Amino acid sequence: MLRLPSSLARSAALAIGATLAASQAFAQPVDTARIQAGDANDWLTYHGSYRSYHYSPLEQINTNNVSNLNVAWIHIPGRSTRGLQSTPVVADGVLYYTGSYSRTFALNGATGEVIWSYIPELDEALISRQTHSPYNRGVAIGDGKVYVGTMDGRLIALDMKTGKPAWDTKLVDSAKLTVGFTGAPLYAKGTVIIGAQGGEWPGRGPIFGVDAATGAKKWEFDTVAGTDEAMKTWGNDSWRTGGGGGWMPGTYDADTNTIWWGTANPAPLYDWSGADFKTQGARPGDNLYTSSVIGLDADTGKLKFYHQELPHDTWDFDSAVGEFLMLDRDGQKLVVHPNKSGYIFVYDRNAGLKNVWRITQNSNFVKDIDPKTGELIGRRDFAAGKQSEPLCPHISGGVSWNSGAYNPKTGLYYKLGQEWCMTLTVSKTTPITAPQVQLNIGADFKIAPPPSGEIYGHLDARDPVTGAKKWEVRFPEPPLASVLSTGGDLVFVPDSRGTLHAYNAETGAELWNHADGTGHQGGIVSYAVNGKQYIAVTAGFGGMASDDYAPTFGGVYKSMPRDDGALIVYSLK
Amino acid sequence: MTRHASSSAALALAASTIVAFAQLSIKPALAQQAAAPADAPLDVHELFATTCGWCHSDGGRAAGKGPQLMDTARSDDFIRNRIKNGKEGAMPAFGQVFNDSQIDSIIAYIRGLKPDQG
Repeated sequence: MLRLPSSLARSAALAIGATLAASQAFAQPVDTARIQAGDANDWLTYHGSYRSYHYSPLEQINTNNVSNLNVAWIHIPGRSTRGLQSTPVVADGVLYYTGSYSRTFALNGATGEVIWSYIPELDEALISRQTHSPYNRGVAIGDGKVYVGTMDGRLIALDMKTGKPAWDTKLVDSAKLTVGFTGAPLYAKGTVIIGAQGGEWPGRGPIFGVDAATGAKKWEFDTVAGTDEAMKTWGNDSWRTGGGGGWMPGTYDADTNTIWWGTANPAPLYDWSGADFKTQGARPGDNLYTSSVIGLDADTGKLKFYHQELPHDTWDFDSAVGEFLMLDRDGQKLVVHPNKSGYIFVYDRNAGLKNVWRITQNSNFVKDIDPKTGELIGRRDFAAGKQSEPLCPHISGGVSWNSGAYNPKTGLYYKLGQEWCMTLTVSKTTPITAPQVQLNIGADFKIAPPPSGEIYGHLDARDPVTGAKKWEVRFPEPPLASVLSTGGDLVFVPDSRGTLHAYNAETGAELWNHADGTGHQGGIVSYAVNGKQYIAVTAGFGGMASDDYAPTFGGVYKSMPRDDGALIVYSLK
Repeated sequence: MTRHASSSAALALAASTIVAFAQLSIKPALAQQAAAPADAPLDVHELFATTCGWCHSDGGRAAGKGPQLMDTARSDDFIRNRIKNGKEGAMPAFGQVFNDSQIDSIIAYIRGLKPDQG
């Protein structure tokens, strides 16, 4: 296969239009160069490409004909406990995706025919003791294998053609630490990178680099006190139960051989330090490298740079969102990363801060974040006891862990914001580490409407660097799924009620919608097989954010199953 | 157990918590705090703020991801079984974490829940 620069590949794909070449006829191994080139027919990584745009240049489905979009086929993965949270990947006409319990499938992208399935044998007794479980968010592909993490702490490689295990490497002592892997791995240059769960789970939140060929661990980076410098930012040896982690896949900068990753929050979630958090409370200090964006050498795992978005995070607004938009603008190479708080950080390629803007209306954990220095201005650090003013946003965040989409044709970033708050009573707690690690929250809380009125969500079309807003669409309940934009000038939003919407990418006008039968909280991708474009979306509700919807919103959520799901694939009639 | 809203009451609770969790093998990070007898009572208020409260909102007073526990019509046996064995996709199993006496303390806390006066 001719390896074109991604921009050229997109142009070629646009020229071919409705007669897209059958990609399987040109099948070549998926490697870093191919992922970098980004063939329009494929969706080769969790985030679509290393640029992480969640964008497909395909334009067969467009603003003129999207009203003719119909279901092409459906796949039921079974045992969808807490719904489906996965984002598929596609190579050479084959779609790979996962369901709960890391059930992994390879399907014919045109027909849905099952090519192979792999249902791992897991430590079910362990999983029954977990909270952020048993969902799985997807796979990585590369070097002829499909890589999937498990909740009992393993990374498994499957042969892409047969689904047979090539290797199975235990990385986390989940029987002790309780947590494992739910996020998708990232493949880059012969290494598979995956981050463990952590956050409010006392531990050190490791990120691993594993040899794609052999399964041997190449490196491990602890997001809690992973360097001597970081160790000094955890008073009273609190690093031992610090939390951290990196539970969503980041991306790869081939120019510098750097892995970009977002890290999770420290434990306990809420601290009772009061304003003097540098010396008081559960974990005195800045708590590096939690709630940070980090750059790791892909070969060695050595830390190259970092920016801690929230020093001493005491709100559970971590940086674990794995979305890193790699932009080229006005001669600058920029990286855009949303923080769970709803603040969007813009960096250069060494995590030097270029700008910070906010997508949410309701936010009071800080008064502001300095766009030049990143300093948190007017931060709320809690003492133990009931807080008089609700905390905004709610613990489920100003943005979800799912991703927005950047469309290089419009230059707009389509991102969902969430408007909700919570009452909060902070309590001193003690980490529980035996016989098994348990959650360490540090508070009681309850979801609450924002001061401005009702809870709602909104899709914004904004400039990703300045945050300037072009249009907005509101939803009565915050959508939690990922967003897709395409070369057909479309933006797809799978909402929480179970409706998939298509909007005009320029204007925000709704052009089409379709009921998928249950709520969405996973990924949506586009690909082409034999000249036909498809849109694939996972439906299936349940999980740490969506489990709040029935008691909060009632209505359709009361009867919505939380143990069901389907992959639904659309094409033109 | 009644809800304590004042910070001094919270501090008092925290002190008793150290006792309660000693039998759960606290990490060395907190070893400067006094050890306690293994049969010390479980501080369920703190347990909710530590582990249970993400799903059982407001200390169990309100429905969240999990059901409201205050004024529950479920029997003690039902609650005991649910704490021990969990429910797939909804509640973790805590049978290996808490002994029968501690689970009794949790049930007593649930039975004593009153609306938050704070």
